[in-house]
Amino acid sequence: MIVRPEKMDFSKQTFSAIIYGAPGVGKTTVACSAPKPLLIDFDRGISRVRADHRVPTIICDTYEEVLQDLSDPSMADFETIIIDTGGAFVTFLKDWALRTKPGAKTKTGEFNSLKGFGFVKTEFMNFTNQVKTIMNKNVIYVFHADEKADKDGTPIQRLLCEGAAKNFVWNGCDFGGYIQMLGGNRTICFTPEQEFFAKQSHGISGKHVIPFLDDKHPNNFMTLLFEQARKNIEAEKDYFEPLQKQYAETMENVKGIVEEITDAETANMAADTIKNLEHALTSKQEAAAMLKAKTDSLGLKYTRKDGYVLKGE
Amino acid sequence: MERYLMTQTLLSSWLYTFNCMEELEEDAMNDFLSTLNRETKEPTDAMKNGIEFERLCYGIAAGTYQPTGVEFPRTFAGASKVAEIIRGAQVQVALQKETEVLGMPLLLYGILDGLKAGVIYDVKFLNKGMGGVDLAGKYLESPQHPMYFALCPEAYLFRYLVSDGTDLYIERYTRTETPPIESIIEQFFCWLDASGYMSVYKEKWLAK
Repeated sequence: MIVRPEKMDFSKQTFSAIIYGAPGVGKTTVACSAPKPLLIDFDRGISRVRADHRVPTIICDTYEEVLQDLSDPSMADFETIIIDTGGAFVTFLKDWALRTKPGAKTKTGEFNSLKGFGFVKTEFMNFTNQVKTIMNKNVIYVFHADEKADKDGTPIQRLLCEGAAKNFVWNGCDFGGYIQMLGGNRTICFTPEQEFFAKQSHGISGKHVIPFLDDKHPNNFMTLLFEQARKNIEAEKDYFEPLQKQYAETMENVKGIVEEITDAETANMAADTIKNLEHALTSKQEAAAMLKAKTDSLGLKYTRKDGYVLKGE
Repeated sequence: MERYLMTQTLLSSWLYTFNCMEELEEDAMNDFLSTLNRETKEPTDAMKNGIEFERLCYGIAAGTYQPTGVEFPRTFAGASKVAEIIRGAQVQVALQKETEVLGMPLLLYGILDGLKAGVIYDVKFLNKGMGGVDLAGKYLESPQHPMYFALCPEAYLFRYLVSDGTDLYIERYTRTETPPIESIIEQFFCWLDASGYMSVYKEKWLAK
């Protein structure tokens, strides 16, 4: 089914997010504020969440148990899958690879980090794709922060996780926020700073104070954030749609014009025509690059006085 | 009127002298001085690998890649992932722009690896596996995306496409979260003045 941009509906758009921070800062509670959550408690940390904020949870000993639970019909009741923590998930996957993938084991029976992490990486991505794309759920990865120091000793925060997952987990995620206590407030920041990395998109950026939870403030921070992101996507769509339409139209024209160039005369005519087109986004620079590639291939050069001429003339 | 050339390579080389590991400080400073003096250098193996990888990405993206041997190159899987993203983009787009910093007229110059529909792409090749390095935030303070946003004011997004030949890591920056390149150049000029290298810059980087 081909859907044109103007017909696209983002009202049911799902998101993926990373939440990370120091132990005890409330990462799991924030993750549980997403719509209809199911927590996969790889880290055995649900007991640390206040009883009234706990949500349905998969408690498991092996990765296979999680896969079995995910195929249960009751999964339809949930809109968000929380992976708590991403680092512990990798530990489960290492155990799974050791038991099921002969190549993941060294001759002495230990984890073969080179081959083993290859299996872990592939399964990590398959799992995420299944939950996000096939099951169409929101996905939240919770990570502990790993404090390192830069050259000057300034602390920098990274995801605590073995292997390459700590890098590529950022690729597919829409937002990534670092939680910390600032002036007595729990805040999450989606804009990267020197001290920590973060990811902003769909207009969700900067620092947000996470409300103190009581009877008047239900645990719905991530639900509201997702709703805001959906509204922002609609607004972005309204802004970019005419630009993208104009861009596509202009680039189509440019391709035709450039194809017609055969010599200096037609190159000069093409340059004039391209200049006068209605440009959008980066069509002007891209058209200039296409023109240059074509004139170079014909052995033409540009001079201020005569425009395009044959090289050597 | 005299103008001076400014590239992200020069700024990156200068910033690396502050960000490198302590034991590499001397090498970093020598590299920077070599760049400042515009000395021609033989590309290192790491640089050659990067250039070869980029070519492979462009070739696959354009559909012009022809395997030369019986086996695909070791980096084919990673290059294919990059190619999928940059397909349809204009590649190696050279741009320049005039500006002025602290009263000095400058010609900013850069070559964008890829440009498509308002998005700038930069292809990076890692000479080691991704598992052993923390990539997230690696480019936060790079002068590259500020420079390229300045060169291409219509672009709204910059995406670093980092591959180790197998995996792909993407780091994206929007224009709104990017500092103006002028602020980085200003710091660079202050440092050149304080270190006595401003005359070298003016001599070697005079734009033709």
